[in-house]
Formats: sequence, structure tokens, C-alpha cells
Amino acid sequence: MIASAAICPAAPLLARELTGLDPVVPELREACAAAMARVVRSRPEVIAVVGPGPHTAIWPADGALNPAGFAPALGSAGTPAGPRMPFPLGLGARLLDEDGYQGPRVLQAVGINEQPGDCLRLGARVGRLANRVGLLVMADGSARRSLRAPGYLDPRAAAFDAAIEQAVRGGDLGPLRAVDAALARDVLAAGRPAWQVLAGALPGRAPAVEVLYADDPFGVFYLVAWLAGPA
Amino acid sequence: MTSRASSRAGGADDAADTGGAVPPGERPLRLGARSFGPRQLLVMAIVNRTPDSFYDRGATWEEAAAMERVHAVVADGADIVDIGGVPAAPGSEVTVAEEIRRTAPFVAAVRAAFPDVVISVDTWRHQVAHELCAAGADLINDSWGGWDERIPEVAAECGAGLVCSHAGGLPPRTRPHRAEYDDVLADVLRHTLALADRAVALGVDPSRILIDPAHDFGKNTWHSLEVTRRLGELAATGWPVLVSVSHKDFIGETLNAGRDERLTGTLATTAVCAWLGGRVFRAHQVTQTRQVLDMIAAIRGDRPPARAVRGLA
Repeated sequence: MIASAAICPAAPLLARELTGLDPVVPELREACAAAMARVVRSRPEVIAVVGPGPHTAIWPADGALNPAGFAPALGSAGTPAGPRMPFPLGLGARLLDEDGYQGPRVLQAVGINEQPGDCLRLGARVGRLANRVGLLVMADGSARRSLRAPGYLDPRAAAFDAAIEQAVRGGDLGPLRAVDAALARDVLAAGRPAWQVLAGALPGRAPAVEVLYADDPFGVFYLVAWLAGPA
Repeated sequence: MTSRASSRAGGADDAADTGGAVPPGERPLRLGARSFGPRQLLVMAIVNRTPDSFYDRGATWEEAAAMERVHAVVADGADIVDIGGVPAAPGSEVTVAEEIRRTAPFVAAVRAAFPDVVISVDTWRHQVAHELCAAGADLINDSWGGWDERIPEVAAECGAGLVCSHAGGLPPRTRPHRAEYDDVLADVLRHTLALADRAVALGVDPSRILIDPAHDFGKNTWHSLEVTRRLGELAATGWPVLVSVSHKDFIGETLNAGRDERLTGTLATTAVCAWLGGRVFRAHQVTQTRQVLDMIAAIRGDRPPARAVRGLA
């Protein structure tokens, strides 16, 4: 059962060191920390971090954020060789660390091309990890919300993100189950599979929801929210 | 003052000491009818036939203004003019026909007015490249990294040169979004060298090929800084390296400088890239860029000072 869940964006700029001298988005980082803190306060036996990656896979629980892929100058010399953990999971792991959470954690990547049905099933599995599972979903919306957006303007982006936001605000994640993978790809919404894992983990209506941030300062839709698990 | 001269005299290694500067490749670079030695630093002046490019904002959209700029940059010491008809940023579509309409008559006019200047054309489309080479272009600056696989065929057929760039696999006119590399420079090397090898295999004259890491294309600011810092690794391949950094966003982000405040950062980056072995520098400000390159050439010992009398009288 899900004790409670948080949604945070998987934007690289959330890693403070990547934005240089300017913190750029302190309010967004604070919102993420606050959502994470609420998950920890819901007394989970384990926290699962779910984020998009090349393939669906569980990564070692001691994996940490490695900014080297985005900023070679910041890579640590002691970084182990081999494949690098998907950045969203590193970001999630850091949120847990910064909160001081020391309990068990599972770092679960969900493949960016995973079909909706498989994402929902994965979510249900995550929900069964323990009696009280804390969930941190690293997912964000379209990167095509304006002319200055990374992916330029796609007129479908606003409605796409609005539907996600509305579903989360209403605590009814049903609409997330049906998000079209092809449309999500078109509007550069990298969070699609992770949202569907969330929908699979929280099939009923969330009894309480708090949206802490919903904006697109750089043309990418960032949503930070906390959802209570079933009563 | 004589003691310094005598102290240097004994050091046999001094002659080989380049103070960290990476020697440029040994190949001559041929563009059009001209040939440039391996230690020559060249300025490629940007001439946009666009109403909406990020820096000049349409200043040379009118043909008369564009031709006036060509006259000015040649007088200021540009070796190459780089003519483009489509901005790099996303925006309203420019069809093949429109791109040709914007650039082909202009290339022909520049060719007629300046028989010796090297004309480069900034396009990723083979149809456009073909028309522009027929109109007199000497070099195809394929800044989107081989997106159109037929570009090298055109270069080979027309006897033109080719710039082999790294755009991180991005489609033309798109911005990087969370681009991530295990080793950005390794990716740049792999991609540009593969493009160069393929171009040679398709018949492009190897002495007319350049490689370009394409700062900002498919790269965030950290990546572009890394590419700058390690430009010597590109120069070490022996291929002439084109450096295109003028007023780009990585300079703006590094210095927190708006569109009109990036000249100092541009020139600093230009100096570092020249020191590390870059050969051709694509620029908006020809006079300032030429000065930076002349200064680097002098520091390197490739060019005597214009006038040295201080302490010598």
C-alpha cells in the first residue's frame, strides 16, 4: 500500500551545482524538498524512487547523483566505471539524502518506451513492496510550451499538461492511465511512464492532495505535488 | 637585459617549448583556389540572409545591406564569408525553395564581386548546397552534423569543401534538452571523424575538410566549456578545426551576459581556441577577431609584431 507519494520534476537544473553561481530555481527546489518531507513523515517502511530511464531496471540503492553527463567538469574522479544511473533516480536519491532519510530505498527506472499497461503493472508491484510504501515519482511535463522552450512551441502541449495537473489536483489519477505515449513523445513529456507507474500504484482516489508548484519558467512544465495514500 | 638572452641560450629544450600551445595540424587547408598553411588562423565572417537570426536580427536581410557587409568584412580581413539563409533556432519554416531564393543569387553576386574570397554556405540540405555550389560556393558548412546524408556527395561532385560538425544527433533547428554524454569530447571526436571519413570515402578532397565541435549545438553550457577546454584534442586529429562561438548562449550563461554583452566572452573563448589549435574562427566582429588571432599568432611566434621599437631605439 502507498503511504503517500510525491511528484517532483526530473529537471537537471534541480541539481544545485549544475546551475552555476545562480541558484536559478530555489523555490522549485524548496517545493520538492517539502513534498519529499511529507512522504518521509507518512512513516513509510520503504521509499521507492521511480524515474524514467533507457530501460526498466532497479538500480543499486546506494546509487547517487552523478552530474558528469551534463557537466563533465563536475564529475567526480572516483566515479565507478560502467553504465551511469539515470539522472532522475540520482535526483530522487539526493532528495532522500537531503531530507536525512536513512530507511530502505528502491531506485526503480521505468523505460521511456514502456507501454502504459506495463507501467501500470509496475506501479501495482511497487505498491506491494511493503505495507507502507513511500513513493517519489520523478516526472515532468511537456518541454514544448513556448517559442523559447527547449522543444519550441507545440500547440498541444498546454492541454496535455493541463490534463495531468487537473488529474493530480483532483486526486483522481485515472486520466494518467490513458495518457497517449505517442502524444507524450511528440510534446517531449519525459514523465509519461513515471506518471503511469504512479497511477498504477495509486488506483483509487487520493484522500488528500497538495500541489506545491505548477509552472513552466523555462517552457518545461514542472509539477510538484504530494498525494496521501488510501485511508 | 642581456642576462635573459644568455640564460635562454643554454636550454636546448626551449626551442621545442610551446608553453602549452597545441601545434595545429600539419595539413594545408584548401578552400576554393586558395591554400592556407597549417599555422595560419582564418576568420570566417558571418553573413546572414535571414530576417530573424539571433545576433544580427535581420541586419543583412536586404541584399544591398548583405553585400555592403561582405565588402566591409573583406576589407576588415575576413578570409571566408559564411552565407546562411536559415537561422539555427527553431522558428517559422524555411522551405528548400525559400532557402535557395534567399541565398543562391546572393552567392552568385558575391562570387562575381570577389573572385578570390572563399565563400562558405551554412546549410544542412543537399539540394540547397548543390544550388549554392553551382552559384560559386567553395565550402559547405553543414552545421547540423550530417543530418542530410547526401551533403558529402554534393561536396564531392562540386569539388567543394565540407565542415563535419557535431550537433549531438539533434534534428536541424532544435534546442538541446537534457543532452547527456558519458564524455562529450569523445562523442564529438567519434561523430566528426566518422563524418570526415565518410566524406573522404565519397570523394571529398581531404584537404578541403574541416571538423567543428559546434558549441551549443546539442550541448549545454558545461558541455561547450568542456569542448573549449579540450579543443586541443580535436586539433590533434590533424583535421583543421572550425570554431564557431560568436555570441553563443554558453558565453551568455557563463558571464550572465545578454545578447549584446557577449563580445568579451566571445573574444576570450576565441583566444583559448586559437591557442589550442583551432584554425578557422566564425565571427560576427571581424576586426576584433582578427586582432585576437594576430595577437595569438604573435605570442606563438608565427607572426612578428606589427611594429616593435619599444626599448629598441
